[in-house]
Amino acid sequence: MFEYALSVIIFLPILTGLALLLFPLRGGVARAVGFIVSVIILFIGIELFLGFNGKSGMEYTEFHQWIPSLGVNYALGIDGISLLVMVAATFLFPMVFSIFKTRTKGFYGNLLLAQGAMLGAICSTDLILFYVFWEIMLLPIFFMIGIYGGDKRLSATLKLTIYTIAGSLLMLAAIIYVGTSYHEQFGKWSFNIADLQALSLSGGFAITAFLMFMVAFAIKIPLFPFHTWLPDGYTEAPTATTFILSAIMAKIGVYGVIRFVIPVFEVEFTRFAILFSLLGIAGMLYCGLAAIAQKDIKRLLAFSSASHMGIIALGVFCMNVQALSGCLFQIMAHATSTGVLFLFVGLMEERLGTRNIDDLGGIAYRAPIFATFFAIAMLASVGLPGTSGFIGEFLIILGAIKFNAFIGFLAGTTLIIGVCYMLWMFQRVFFEKGKERTESFADLNGMEILTFVPVILLIIGMGIFPQTFLEKIEPTAQQHVAQLTAVSASQIADTTVQNPGHTNHKN
Amino acid sequence: MIQDYLILSVILFCLGILGVISRRNVFTVFMSIELMLNAANLAFITFSRVHESMDGHVMAMMIMAVAAAEAALALAVVILLHKHKGKLDTNVFSLLKG
Amino acid sequence: MEQTANYLGLIPLLPLTGALVIGLLHMLTCTKKPLPEKLYSVLACIGPLLSFFMALVVLFQLKNMAPEDRFLSHIPFTWFAVGELHVDMGFLADPLSSLMLVFVTFIGSLIHIYSIGYMAGEENYGKYFAYLNLFLGAMLILVLGNGPVVMFVGWEGVGLCSYLLISFYTKDTDNVLAGNKAFIVNRIGDLGFVLGMSFLFWAIGSTGFDFLSLRENAHLLTPGIGFAICLLLFVGACGKSAQIPLYVWLPDAMAGPTPVSALIHAATMVTAGVYMVARFSFIYSHFPSAGTIIAWVGILTALLAAIFGMFQKDIKKILAYSTVSQLGYMFAGVGVAAYSAGIFHVFTHAFFKALLFLGAGSVIYALHHQQNIWKMGGLKAKMPITYATMLIGALALSGCPPFSGFFSKDEILFMALANGHPGIWFIGVLVAGMTAYYTFRMMFLVFHGEARDKQAYDQAHEPPAVMTVPLIILAAGAALVGVFNLPGIFGGSMSVSNWLAPSLVEHHPHVSIWLEIMAIAASIAAVVIGITIAYKKFGHGAEEPEFTGFAKLGYHKFYVDEIYNAAIIQPYKAIGSLISRFFEPNVTDLHVKFSTWLYTKSGKAFKVFQVGYVRIYAIYMVIGLSVMSFFLSQSIN
Repeated sequence: MFEYALSVIIFLPILTGLALLLFPLRGGVARAVGFIVSVIILFIGIELFLGFNGKSGMEYTEFHQWIPSLGVNYALGIDGISLLVMVAATFLFPMVFSIFKTRTKGFYGNLLLAQGAMLGAICSTDLILFYVFWEIMLLPIFFMIGIYGGDKRLSATLKLTIYTIAGSLLMLAAIIYVGTSYHEQFGKWSFNIADLQALSLSGGFAITAFLMFMVAFAIKIPLFPFHTWLPDGYTEAPTATTFILSAIMAKIGVYGVIRFVIPVFEVEFTRFAILFSLLGIAGMLYCGLAAIAQKDIKRLLAFSSASHMGIIALGVFCMNVQALSGCLFQIMAHATSTGVLFLFVGLMEERLGTRNIDDLGGIAYRAPIFATFFAIAMLASVGLPGTSGFIGEFLIILGAIKFNAFIGFLAGTTLIIGVCYMLWMFQRVFFEKGKERTESFADLNGMEILTFVPVILLIIGMGIFPQTFLEKIEPTAQQHVAQLTAVSASQIADTTVQNPGHTNHKN
Repeated sequence: MIQDYLILSVILFCLGILGVISRRNVFTVFMSIELMLNAANLAFITFSRVHESMDGHVMAMMIMAVAAAEAALALAVVILLHKHKGKLDTNVFSLLKG
Repeated sequence: MEQTANYLGLIPLLPLTGALVIGLLHMLTCTKKPLPEKLYSVLACIGPLLSFFMALVVLFQLKNMAPEDRFLSHIPFTWFAVGELHVDMGFLADPLSSLMLVFVTFIGSLIHIYSIGYMAGEENYGKYFAYLNLFLGAMLILVLGNGPVVMFVGWEGVGLCSYLLISFYTKDTDNVLAGNKAFIVNRIGDLGFVLGMSFLFWAIGSTGFDFLSLRENAHLLTPGIGFAICLLLFVGACGKSAQIPLYVWLPDAMAGPTPVSALIHAATMVTAGVYMVARFSFIYSHFPSAGTIIAWVGILTALLAAIFGMFQKDIKKILAYSTVSQLGYMFAGVGVAAYSAGIFHVFTHAFFKALLFLGAGSVIYALHHQQNIWKMGGLKAKMPITYATMLIGALALSGCPPFSGFFSKDEILFMALANGHPGIWFIGVLVAGMTAYYTFRMMFLVFHGEARDKQAYDQAHEPPAVMTVPLIILAAGAALVGVFNLPGIFGGSMSVSNWLAPSLVEHHPHVSIWLEIMAIAASIAAVVIGITIAYKKFGHGAEEPEFTGFAKLGYHKFYVDEIYNAAIIQPYKAIGSLISRFFEPNVTDLHVKFSTWLYTKSGKAFKVFQVGYVRIYAIYMVIGLSVMSFFLSQSIN
């Protein structure tokens, strides 16, 4: 029954989105259409998640030839790595449609396009196909920020777009290198990730290509010091877009590293892992410290999101199964906590017309439900046990300690740094004396409660029953790590065997 | 024999280029372009004779038709330009200056 | 070896359900018409009371088993499992946790009942009980957790509730700041806990990450790692149990309602660190050097807090510092490997400190939120029950025989001496004298002498029965629970120590009876001296002195808060704004700035070619074509 499910969740939103852009409709109608489509996709996503049996292979695969002469295929599939990213991308969109009511049809159309492209990037198992979706993903984001963003939207959009495209072009070059290397070594063309695993690359070119890939993904994640587009981009974007950027698009960067970089560049990855994990830590500390000085809640959350992404990225570079599973789990957890916080800020902005922390205060007295939901998402974001955030962070810290005790210690400081700025912000926004502006703050209405309750339940559910998710991703993570350690170990063994040989030869 | 034709074609073409480069009146520039087209036509016909193929003729006819169409368009553009600025001096039209 | 008891999970679940129900009710109705307080009171007390009865069931079930088999476990489901890591959401009741379980639920229930009276008429009545129930649930998870990770759930949960309840009166910024401070300082400790837990896992946890498996593998720990684990876990304990250097949050935590101070910041949560060290006694007993560090940190904390306590004028601050000081004793106890003595002090301290706090709460309640002891006086006549019960508590806290505090404190000091730490013993005795002094300074100033604030004095009255009955029950406990662990010299048989023996790894040294008598005599002498000085100075009324010299330093707590503020908090904020004002726009963004600069500059440079005249472009074209044709002709030839 789910033979073409992946194609459906990719192209249904893309086609509907295009249709919304083409036909003259009112914003309300477009929103309704978008909501229905995203709910359909949500149900397919749930079915896919439940039907996924997690035996470490690709499931729901689809395969059609696309450009046979170059070995480029339309190949889709889901495994433990992409499962939770896919789930995040299908679960969270209906919320956007149900909360933000006052946008035009262009906005809703672009949202759907973004969803389709993101799902495409997540489900692709062919490098070229991935690249195509990866680039398409940027277009709706570009329009959404550029047209519907805040006051300084133009510079923010340009910075984001050029930054990302620069990275993508490096990646394209690296993809071509990988493809030609495959052709050289095996005499045929293929960009399928399963084939590319067999590739053995070495030398300066391989390192360059590896770094090009990494820069592209590091920009998207964003990894320190490539994060500088993020504060402006997140702040200026309309909240729905910020939510998508933070909750899903950033995760596709991490996902890309796991899916495409690790299997192809095992040796280079192992060699550079310590460097990149330090970058992750640096980003975590740097953005966490920067967050404390922000006056705009959205900007604070932008830095907080970047800070957490540093930890998530660290999980990839630790190269053990705990950290990798933690990272994959945290992808979903972070989407439901920090991502959802962005939505709350959006609601606040719609109601009060300001995001400035100094103008707010005492919201908890006016809106207890809102404050409670916000607090739960916030606590998940600082990793309180019993919420989704703890499991991921704990696994990553645990893995990091095995990888390198010092890095593990630094990773642990996220426990303190996160809580500092979050509590300080929470105090000034929700507690203290109410301000004039917040006197008339309306609590969540029925529809909004209905929208957020599933996420709140998910946050707590993922904290109490994480095994439901972990058991599906763990085999793939296990296999990935095993492959990585095996290949890099054999490579190291090779070089140690070869080196004496060389010296003998010279003698 | 054939070289003579070609040399004539080259001379005509160079004259055309010189006209385009050095003259400032839009009409003169336009006529210089026509001259270059005709230089090309001459070369086509010449090669057509040399290779004993009708392709060159076809191209020549084609170029004439294009030239005619171009003349129609270009004259319209010239009229608009004149309406716009009241002059036909190409130095007036320098919007592309960086 | 261990039996299953499928109701263990219910014990924390009951208060948690209560918290959920009350919380939902409160959340949905608080902006409209609040629900009647009776409803909340009943809902709030069901969970703790039921848990208490189940705790008794657990205790008796354990009692009926052979001493070395006293382990009950309940594993509802696998929490998470990745690779070698396998963590069950599991609960374990052994003698140690059952003891904690009983007194936590008992005192918890009493304080719930007391709160009905204390909080009557307050805004956010429902919220208060939701948080209190949530706290109890988290504390029970902490106590019952069958492994470090489950324990950590409760560990952080109680931290959260402590934050929520300290900043309960959220309209006042200071309260919220105190809550933030508590949460953040606790988190610093939690970092130590998480790191210690992770090291422990990689060292010996791969065959099972619960206490019983860890205990079996504890001998595999290598000295370096084991020592590091001990210290890291102790950092966690420092945060939760307010030891140097992380004790600063506890005095500020008195911003919360007084019953909260009694339950969380005196009787239960703050003792979690001691409980944790005792839980890990199978590791700590392998590393006596780590234990010595803990003991010294503990006794120095006791000394420091006692110094601060002598000069405070806020009744709750005095009790807070006495709590810090007593916690120091407990750590001195577990540090010198006298785990059962430490835990027994946790047990007795819970009674008399909860009693003192609740008594202080009654006084504050009667005086309409007056907390300055220099504004009180002579309340003995107005509040006889409160006075009598608090006197028992004060005697127990000072360590007067035969009240409970005497036996537990003395056991710790004696064990320190017996295990070869005379320095710790000496400071301990000194602190005992100081404790007696400041406790009775408070008692005399509050209850004896003349009333200093006549108007408040006239309005003061004994609180309602719902508040006095818990006081009386706790007073009975504070007076009597010492008999549970009577040492041989008083004709007892150390029943609590024997009961705890299967859970702990400790050795009882044999020392001469004369040493024991000497130790007891010394601490009794210290207590008597302390009380006498207090009576001389404050027994017949005294005026508030102007603090000078050392007293001023003590009153201002050696300016530790100010030093922390200047050395840590301000630099932290400064770095934050430095990053966001300077680094982010100017340094980190440099590569972007550079490339835009490059583009602009090169654009400007190439601009000269863009003259705007079509014929000049035609010249470029001609030149380009010429060059191209030239190279083309070259290559053809």
